[in-house]
Amino acid sequence: MFFHMVLERNMQLHPRSFGLNLRENLVSKLIKDVEGSCSGRHGFVVAITGIESVGKGLVPDGTSSSALVTFPVKYQCLLFRPFRGEILEAFVTLVNRMGFFAEAGPVQIFVSKLLIPDSMEFQAGDMPNYTTSDGSVKIQKECEVRLKIIGTRVDATEIFCVGTINDDFLAVINDPALAA
Amino acid sequence: MSVASDSSPVHSSSSDDLAAFLETELDSDSDSDSSSESFPIEAAEVAVVDVSSNHRLKRQKLEHPEDETENVASVTFSEEISEASSSKSPCEHPGTFGNMCFVCGQKVEVTGVSFGYIHKGFKLQQDEVTRLRDIDMKALQSQRKLCLVLDLDHTLLNTTVLRDLRPEEEYLKSHTHSLQDVSGGDIFMLEFMHMMTKLRPFVHSFLKEASKMFVLYIYTMGDRPYARQMAKLLDPKGEYFGERIISRDDGTVKHQKSLDVVLGQEKAVLILDDTENAWPGHRDNLIVIERYHFFASSCKQFDHRFQSLSQLKSDESEPEGVLSAVLKVLKQTHSLFFQDGGEDLSSRDVRSLLKQVRKEILEGCKVVFSRVFPTKTQAEDHPLWRVAEGLGATCATEVDASVTHVVAMDVGTEKVRWAIREKKFVVHRGWIDAANYLWKKQPEEKFGLEQLKKQGADDLTVEK
Repeated sequence: MFFHMVLERNMQLHPRSFGLNLRENLVSKLIKDVEGSCSGRHGFVVAITGIESVGKGLVPDGTSSSALVTFPVKYQCLLFRPFRGEILEAFVTLVNRMGFFAEAGPVQIFVSKLLIPDSMEFQAGDMPNYTTSDGSVKIQKECEVRLKIIGTRVDATEIFCVGTINDDFLAVINDPALAA
Repeated sequence: MSVASDSSPVHSSSSDDLAAFLETELDSDSDSDSSSESFPIEAAEVAVVDVSSNHRLKRQKLEHPEDETENVASVTFSEEISEASSSKSPCEHPGTFGNMCFVCGQKVEVTGVSFGYIHKGFKLQQDEVTRLRDIDMKALQSQRKLCLVLDLDHTLLNTTVLRDLRPEEEYLKSHTHSLQDVSGGDIFMLEFMHMMTKLRPFVHSFLKEASKMFVLYIYTMGDRPYARQMAKLLDPKGEYFGERIISRDDGTVKHQKSLDVVLGQEKAVLILDDTENAWPGHRDNLIVIERYHFFASSCKQFDHRFQSLSQLKSDESEPEGVLSAVLKVLKQTHSLFFQDGGEDLSSRDVRSLLKQVRKEILEGCKVVFSRVFPTKTQAEDHPLWRVAEGLGATCATEVDASVTHVVAMDVGTEKVRWAIREKKFVVHRGWIDAANYLWKKQPEEKFGLEQLKKQGADDLTVEK
């Protein structure tokens, strides 16, 4: 699910970047640091949409040669966070005997064979896939599936999810072979 | 921010904040009025699934916000859903993806074997691995295939770092093939990795033939990017190896290779590697191959004083080279395994079949060793004795009429003089080593003792 929120962060800036371009430097450093990162609480930061406010810079106590000034910045950003129970559309990247891996943006999802309906069987070969007995539904690399998230885990740069398609209205959305 | 380090008491206060924050954000946002109706119900369903599953497990901080936003209207939902989920049998957690069980989604203790080469963060429990191996065995039998694990360096190719190129090897830079179309090429310049790679002669035909009989794996002591790059050179279409590229980052024990990350049953896996010591637990599955030294730096690495193939401006022969000999052995073992005999396939073991093939090499030879082993040691325990026996020869300590070969390092011994008198073959130990590496009995004339003086005792230069 996507969220658009205001978050705050303390940015540390070296005095060499002070001057006319202070705010620009601050903003570009913020973007570099924050966009593409993940946290357990907010999920994946997709993009920063605007800066709400930049507080007064704080110079640390005592003097040291590597003094960095701290600026508290409030910024608006677009967040993406999968939730347990959420239905997502994902793009299949790898199919093997144990299940298949799919991705939805920055999120990597694994659907185990045990959570794929029994009616679908694994077919090995050049393009390994899961097919129903009558061949009507096929899950293979580069097809879209609708799946339900049953667990999520976040680390510094990626979100791992475990999903299932063993429910109503889930599985293949469109088959690239049929569409062609 | 690590989710796992949070403890329960801290949960409620901070998640309260987030919950309140989320609510205010959603309420204040004018577009989301329609979505705010659906949100509490969705959240309640999610909360209920959590509540009905194990409380005692340390739950992620993520799950708590849903608890708090539960609405009165959704109480009836909760009863129905909790009944449904409690009827499921407890999950066995066959494996984890990023420390969550991939069947129930709960956070579990991470144990089991890591299969990083399939996908990052993917782990399987030992029982599940065994179950998968059984399924794999059946699938392979129906396709009439076994498993073959291949090493890269000095086995299928030879790589050198660009800086270690000797001046006499500079001519190679103009002979490199383009990386855009690797088929048919065998020497490649990889500027971005500062390396140059030479594929062993016959390797393309070898892979093509082997892939018909075996499911191929790469297992190298290089790192993952190196392994993937080499796989692209050997197998541009990805048809031979697929995802089965195991690098040192995927191994479980440092500096050692093991079949624990290979999803094939041990009795159906053969290994092709130049280093015996890399596979301490699987010597019986291993076919040791002669090292491919194309670049000078490779020879130097192993303290060899002879010139490398690039310095000699030559290469191994394709039809009579090492890979071609090994391919014949693989074909032989494969046909023995799938032979229509009395017993069924599940009781056949490729390791015993390999021993069988090996014993045919020096069958019928009786070997006596002269001044090869130090006098204080037990002759039967010496590795060379063992190798000779493994090749099917009978070994003895004293000469008699049935002896066919005398292996010596020196011309002047009594046994050698006896052999010359009785017109028996006199060879140096290289004859046994050559038979071991080339899987074929070599002509004795090439290993006579006069040859020994010419080549020098250290080298194992096998005549091709």
